[in-house]
Amino acid sequence: MAAIVTLHTNHIAVAGAGLLGRLVAWQLLADGHAVTLYDAGDLDTPPAAAWTAAGMVAPLCETAISERCVHDMGRFALDQWPRWLEAIDAPALWQQNGSLMVAHPQDLGELTQFRRDLEHALGGNAPCQSLDAREIHRLEPDLASGFRQGLYLPDEAHLDNRALLSCLLEAIRALGGECHGHCPVETFPGEVVTPDGARRFDLVVDCRGTGARPHHPSLRGVRGETLHVQTAEIRLLRPVRLMHPRYQLYVVPKPGDRFVIGATQIESEDRSPMSLQSSLELGSALYTLSPAFAEARILEQGVNLRPAFLDNLPHVTRQHGLVTANGLFRHGYLLAPAVVCHLLADIRGHGDQPFADILAACPPQESAA
Amino acid sequence: MDALHDDTLTLYDETFASRFLLGTALYSSPTVMQQAIRAAGCEMVTLGMRRQNPAGGDGDAFWQILRDSGCRLLPNTAGCRSAREAITLAQMSRELFDTPWIKLEVIGDDYNLQPDPFGLLEAARELIDQGFKVLPYCTDDLVLCQRLRDAGCQALMPWGSPIGTGLGLMNRYALQTLRQRLDVPLIIDAGLGAPSQAAEAMEMGFDGVLLNTAVARAHRPALMAEAFAEAIRAGRSGYLAGLMQQRQTASPSTPPLGQPFWHRDGG
Repeated sequence: MAAIVTLHTNHIAVAGAGLLGRLVAWQLLADGHAVTLYDAGDLDTPPAAAWTAAGMVAPLCETAISERCVHDMGRFALDQWPRWLEAIDAPALWQQNGSLMVAHPQDLGELTQFRRDLEHALGGNAPCQSLDAREIHRLEPDLASGFRQGLYLPDEAHLDNRALLSCLLEAIRALGGECHGHCPVETFPGEVVTPDGARRFDLVVDCRGTGARPHHPSLRGVRGETLHVQTAEIRLLRPVRLMHPRYQLYVVPKPGDRFVIGATQIESEDRSPMSLQSSLELGSALYTLSPAFAEARILEQGVNLRPAFLDNLPHVTRQHGLVTANGLFRHGYLLAPAVVCHLLADIRGHGDQPFADILAACPPQESAA
Repeated sequence: MDALHDDTLTLYDETFASRFLLGTALYSSPTVMQQAIRAAGCEMVTLGMRRQNPAGGDGDAFWQILRDSGCRLLPNTAGCRSAREAITLAQMSRELFDTPWIKLEVIGDDYNLQPDPFGLLEAARELIDQGFKVLPYCTDDLVLCQRLRDAGCQALMPWGSPIGTGLGLMNRYALQTLRQRLDVPLIIDAGLGAPSQAAEAMEMGFDGVLLNTAVARAHRPALMAEAFAEAIRAGRSGYLAGLMQQRQTASPSTPPLGQPFWHRDGG
């Protein structure tokens, strides 16, 4: 495979300081390149979907509602994240306590359907245990007592995503990366146009999500809403997913007695504040999981757009001087390690390039550059 | 074969070769949805927009994918809980999609999404007056369906069973009554889970089938869409061909006179 850049040390621009952009910038700096990172928004409270997200790494939960390759890339993430977190000296941000799925007694069919979908995708070898009420209580004592059946997925993990984004920015700065917040850019092969004018680079890596639509006409945003609440009355050790005929909502524990509950999925590029309907759905799911959430304080209502191609799978495109990575949809933390490792192998011109069959394929209905 | 070839569905003076209408929610991706629409061979797809902020046109990226399918778009008022909400949304959809067609839903119960017959009738009357071509999603109640027809609905969409349940035709007596008593096109909407259930509806003389979950949530949605399309064609052919009357006693197709005597005792 031919390397995209040939000199030993290059000046590389990364557009978009979301999860992908930060990981790529940090890794390229570690490789010895000079890196300039741009984002249209604030770097400390980024407008990225990764900031709004709950930070789950749940390959099995997500497989049932997507495709087999999402699971495979997710398993790759379960191996990769602990190494990266070790490298930025923040291993405590990673929690691999599994995840728990529960349903109302009248919706137990949803658990059966999930199990069937999982077996269809993975051939019956999925690490997934059925639980009764006593076992659910043993795993999560603070959960409401009405759940008689559940599923435990022991391999799944979650991470403190906001702390991770901050740590990555620190790591980038510590390695000498040049970071520009509040700086919207346009990207071209070997060139970035900022409000101050054009600047040449050896390579431009575009990780801007929905901002990269000029390169991807088929890219769309899918609205997601999350609630951030705080209460010391309840403790959860792992993400809990509530299965329901019309939506799946999950609550993910965060440090400081905080919880993120999400997320709606609406085919719309509307960025306006959360609707009352969504707020009721998210709030009542929380209340169902434990009435103790009733007095939790709502700290934040998050709204963002998930960047997605028509197949809802990520794709990496390359041409001389410009690489784009996009379309992680609802799976940012699950798929970022696979996408970043693929992209870095491409830039380095050596090493295993994982998941090339999916990632290097042209996004559907877009012709190759 | 020829009889079926000429057999078309007429709704509000427009004809459709396909009797299969497909919903566009719940697919794992737009690509999977496009494959299912193609495999179904349908000419009409429904789309919801209540939560997409239609006034801002924010759902347009997704709606464009539906427009590109070449199917007629049938906007619905899913998620509306009163006649007023449904009427407002229908008016918005007429502007957004430049169509007077509307699948009218007024939901009376949040949990099983059961239609509110009172709000539905009120909204149907108002929208018909405003020139809409209303396809109301209704229960299988005869009097409600008669009132909707009298209000000017030229086609009705009674449920097979509640949305997303896959329970099939729950009340055959009520559905059979609708078919016998109403001469407008009737499309079974909601509750179908298996192709055989769609075939049964068509054999009973229903004019079409609308479904979503059974296809969207299948492990292989395109294959399930194809299976439903075949079942709908088979059921329709069976209906047109004329089903034999079921009987309690066996009726041999060859006269028993020609059989050897030792078979006569049923041995």
